[in-house]
Amino acid sequence: MNALEKLEKIKIDVETALAEAKGAQEVDSVRVKYLGRKGELTSILRSLSDLSKEEKAEVGKRANILKGELVAKFTQAQNAMESEQSNSVGKEIDVTLPGIAPRVGTVHPLTRVMVRINEILISLGFKIAEGPEIESEFYNFEALNIPLDHPSRDAFDTFYIDKEYLLRSHTSNVQIHVMQNQAPPLQVIMPGRVYRPDAVDASHSFMFHQVEGLMVDKGIKFSDLKGVLSMFCKTMFGKDIETRLRPHFFPFTEPSCEVDISCIMCMGKGCRVCSGNGWLEILGAGMVNPKVFESVGYDPNEYTGFAFGMGVERIAMLLYGIEDIRLFYENDVRFLKQFK
Amino acid sequence: MKISYNWIKEYVKLKANSEELAKGLTMSGSEVEGIESREGDQIMGLEITSNRPDCLNMVGMAREASAVFDVDLRLPDMGIAPAVAAPGGPEVECVIKNTDLCPKYTARIISGVNVSPGEGKISERIQSLGVRPVNNIVDITNFCLMESGQPLHAFDLDKIKGEKIIIREATDGEKITTIDGIERKLNKGMLVIADESDPIAIAGIMGGKNTEVTETTRNILLESAYFEPISIRRTGRVLALSSDSSYRFERGVDRGMINAASDRATALIVSEAGGTIHDFYEEGNLTAEKVSIDLDVDRAGNTLGILLGKDQVMHILQRLGMEVEDEGMSKIKVIVPTFREDLQKEIDLVEEIARIYGYDKIPTTVARIVPQIVRKEYSRRVIEKLHEVLPSAGLNEIMTYSLISEAAVQRHAAITKDPVELANPLSEDQKILTPQLLDGMLKSISWNINRNNKDLGLFEIGKIYSKGSGKEKFIETPALCVALSGVLRKNWSEDAREAHLYDLKGVIELVFRKMSISAGFKKTNIEGLKAATEVRLDGEKESIGFMGAVDKPLLNQYNIEQPVFIAQIKLDKVIEKATLATRYRAIPRFPFSSRDISILCDEALASSEIYNILSSSAEEIIRGVELVDTYEGKQIEAGKKSLTYSVKYGLDTRTLTDEEIDPVHSKIKDTLQKKLGVSFR
Repeated sequence: MNALEKLEKIKIDVETALAEAKGAQEVDSVRVKYLGRKGELTSILRSLSDLSKEEKAEVGKRANILKGELVAKFTQAQNAMESEQSNSVGKEIDVTLPGIAPRVGTVHPLTRVMVRINEILISLGFKIAEGPEIESEFYNFEALNIPLDHPSRDAFDTFYIDKEYLLRSHTSNVQIHVMQNQAPPLQVIMPGRVYRPDAVDASHSFMFHQVEGLMVDKGIKFSDLKGVLSMFCKTMFGKDIETRLRPHFFPFTEPSCEVDISCIMCMGKGCRVCSGNGWLEILGAGMVNPKVFESVGYDPNEYTGFAFGMGVERIAMLLYGIEDIRLFYENDVRFLKQFK
Repeated sequence: MKISYNWIKEYVKLKANSEELAKGLTMSGSEVEGIESREGDQIMGLEITSNRPDCLNMVGMAREASAVFDVDLRLPDMGIAPAVAAPGGPEVECVIKNTDLCPKYTARIISGVNVSPGEGKISERIQSLGVRPVNNIVDITNFCLMESGQPLHAFDLDKIKGEKIIIREATDGEKITTIDGIERKLNKGMLVIADESDPIAIAGIMGGKNTEVTETTRNILLESAYFEPISIRRTGRVLALSSDSSYRFERGVDRGMINAASDRATALIVSEAGGTIHDFYEEGNLTAEKVSIDLDVDRAGNTLGILLGKDQVMHILQRLGMEVEDEGMSKIKVIVPTFREDLQKEIDLVEEIARIYGYDKIPTTVARIVPQIVRKEYSRRVIEKLHEVLPSAGLNEIMTYSLISEAAVQRHAAITKDPVELANPLSEDQKILTPQLLDGMLKSISWNINRNNKDLGLFEIGKIYSKGSGKEKFIETPALCVALSGVLRKNWSEDAREAHLYDLKGVIELVFRKMSISAGFKKTNIEGLKAATEVRLDGEKESIGFMGAVDKPLLNQYNIEQPVFIAQIKLDKVIEKATLATRYRAIPRFPFSSRDISILCDEALASSEIYNILSSSAEEIIRGVELVDTYEGKQIEAGKKSLTYSVKYGLDTRTLTDEEIDPVHSKIKDTLQKKLGVSFR
C-alpha cells in the first residue's frame, strides 16, 4: 500500500469509526488513533521526508487536506456528543407532556375594571381624589342639593350610623371635599366603595363601586361633557360604540342626562342583555348644578363644570358577560382565575 | 307611570305613531320602558323623574309631546265653573287646624247622585291605565287624577258625623280603617281628614271605609286640596302605604289646579250620575303665584355649546306652557306656570331648551383647560404595587363585603376595638363595618374549600373601620390580608408542597422588600392564632399587623378542616414609609468569597439574635449574611438546633485574600459565642 492509498483508507476508517463511536470518549480515542502524537495520519506526515520529491509534494498536500477534514469531523462529532450529554432533559423528552407552570395569581375583576376606567380618564387629564366612606349628611346629601324629606332622596336610600353620619350612597361626597379644598380649574375622578340598602340578589348588592368624574373651569360646556363621555366610552368599549344622552334628573346636575352606549353584545341590533332596544345605560352625568357650587363657595356666574358617574360592577358585568353580581364577592377561585 | 297613546292623542295633534312617540319622549327625558297593546290602544310604561310631577298625568304628557313634536295642544275643558250652585243644600264647615300641612282645602257638595257601576269612556280610560273601576263617582275622581294630576276624593256626605270637616293631626294611637279594609294605627304628625268624632281619611293618601261612596250613596262631598309633600311622604313611609294620590302629593301637585280639577269632576259627575250642585267651600290660603325667570339666550347657548336663536328658544318654552316676553338683546323674561315648580333658575330653563332641542343635536367638543401635571397619589401607587407584587407571588385577589354580622365581629374580638355599627341595617348579617379583614378572608376560604378548591393563596386590599375620637369621629384604615392554605405547589414532576407559615412570612417580606421597608417579626399572643407573630416597622413603637396559623377552634367556626395561615397588615404606615423609587448601586467588580458558620444553639434561641449580630457587625468586609440550613435531630443533642449561615466577604476595590478574611471570620464567631453562648459544629 503506498502512502496515497493509506490516506484513502484512513479517511474511510475514520468515517466508519465515528459512525460507530458511542459518546465523546470513544470519539476522542478515534481522534487519538489517527491524529494523536503516534496516530496514523501523524506518522504519515512525519515520514514525508522519506519520500521522493514528487511524492513528497503530492502526499504532503493530500495529507494536510485530509488532516483539515478530519479535525473538522472530530470537532463536529465531539460537539454533537457533548450537546447530547449535557442536555439534562435527555434524548427521550415528550414535548406533548404539559409544561410546568410557575404559579401566578390574579387581580380581582373589579380592580381590573376600575384600574382601566381610571387609566382612560387619567389619560384625558383627570387626577384621582379619594374621600371617606363614613360620611356626614352634609357631604352626601345637602351640599349636593338633595334636601331631607325630598322625593329626590328616594333614589338614595341610605345606611345610617347615627343622626349625622351615614355610609355614602355615592362617591359624589368627594366632589364636595375636593371643591372645598381646591380652587378651579380642576379635573378629578373619584373611585370608591358605596352602599345602599338593597337586598342581595343576582343584580343587586348593598355594596358596590363607583367612579365619578368632575371638571370645573370657566367656560366648560355641555358639549365638552359629551366629548369626554364619547372618548371614554369609545376607549373603554370599542371605537365603533355609539353613545346617546337622554335627559334625566339628578339633584346635583342641571342639565342632567343618562348615557347609553350601543349594546356591546349585539352591536345595537337588540338582544336579551339590552332588553331588545339596542342600548345599555352606563353612566349618569350633567352640568354641575349652580346650587352645588354655592354650597362650596364657588361663584356659579364665573365657573361652570360637569360631573359624571358610573357603576364599576355594571361595567364589569357587561365587559365580561357576568350575569350575577354576587360572583364578585363570593371569591370562588374558579371565577377569580379566569381574569388574566 | 302608564300613559295611553289614544288618550294622549285626544289632547295633542300628533302625527307620530306610538313608537315614534315613545322614542321622542325617551329622548326628551320621560323614558319609555315598555309598550304593550291593549284593545286597539298602546299603553306605555314611563319612568318619570322625581322633579317632574307635572308629567304624572295625561295633560302633562300631552304637553311634552306637543313640545317634542312641535304640534298644537288642545286641552279638555278644565276650570269651567259649573252652573250656579243650587241654594238650600246640606251645609258643612271646613276647619284647617294645621295650615302648614294643609295650606288649602276645598269641598263641593253634590246631592242626589245615582251611584252605579262605572261604564263608558271614563271607565275604559282609567282601566286602560290599570286603575280598577269601582263606581261612576269614584271612577270620575280617578279619571280626573289621571287627566290633570290633581287627586280628588269623594266622601259619602251622609256618613260624615256632624257638620264639620276638620283637617288636623292624628292623635297617637288613633285608628282608621282605610278603603282597602285594613285598620291602620296613626301617630301624631300624620294629617287626617276628620268629622266631629273620627278620622274619615288619611289626608292625601287614602280615604276611610266609614265614609266610602257606595251604591247607596245619595249625597257626596268632593274634596280637592293641597297637602304638603313632606308630610304626605313621611306618613306614607311610616304606614308603608302608597297610592296614586300620595305618589302625586308627595312630589307636589299643581297649585293652580285645585279648584279647576274640582270643577271638572263636578261637571262630569252631574253629567254621568245626575245630582244637584251645591256650595263650594274653600279654606286656607295657597299662593299660586307664577315665578318669573330672566333668561339670557346667549348664555344658555354658551353653557350648552350651541348657537341658539331667540325665536327658537321662545317657541320651545311656549310649547312647554311658559309665557315669554322679549326683553331686548339676548334677554327673555320667562313666566313659569304653576305646574312647573321645578323651574326656579335660569339653568333649569337651559335644561328645558336642551332636552327639547335634542341632546343628540348638541356637538361633541373637547374642553380646553389649563393642563395640570397628573401624578398619581403616592398611596395609590403603593396599592398598585401590591396589585402587581402579590399576583406575581401566585396569589389571587379577593373582595369581601365591608359589612359583617355581630357574631363575625365577636369571633375576632381579640383584634377588635370600637367597631362602627349601623343604625338601620338591612339584616343581621350586614350590621357592622368590618374591624378586620380576617372574617371575609376565612369566609372566602371556607366557600372555596366547600367547593373542593382546596389549594388557596388569597389576598385582599380593603379597609378596616373603627370609631375614632375628637375631630376624627371614624377611622378608615387601608389594610392588606394574605392567607395561604392547602398545597402551594403541585405538578407531575415534583412532590406536592403544603403551604407553611414561612411561606406566608416570605410573602409579607417580599411586600416589604418591594417597598424598601424594613420590618421586624416578634412572637406574641393573639387569641385565635397559633405562632402569633407581631409585625412592626423598624423604628416604630406600634405594631402594624400580625400573622399566624389560625387556631382550630376558630377554624371550626368557619367549618374549615385544613390549616390556614393568615396575616393582616395595616397599610397606612406602610404607605407612609414605602419607597418605590429605585437607586442603582454599582455591581461589585471583584468577586466575593463565602464562608459558612454552623452554629449549635438552644432550640429556644431566636435566629434573629444570630442574624442581627452577623449583619450589624462593624466589619466592612462583611457584605451579606444568609441562612442556608437548619437542623434539629438525631445527630445533635436534644434541645439543641443547628443553624448554618453563609457569610459573604468582599471589597469593591480588590479581591480579598484568605489571610484577610480568616481573622474577621474568627472574630465574628467569637462574638457570637460570647454574646449568645453558642458553639460551632
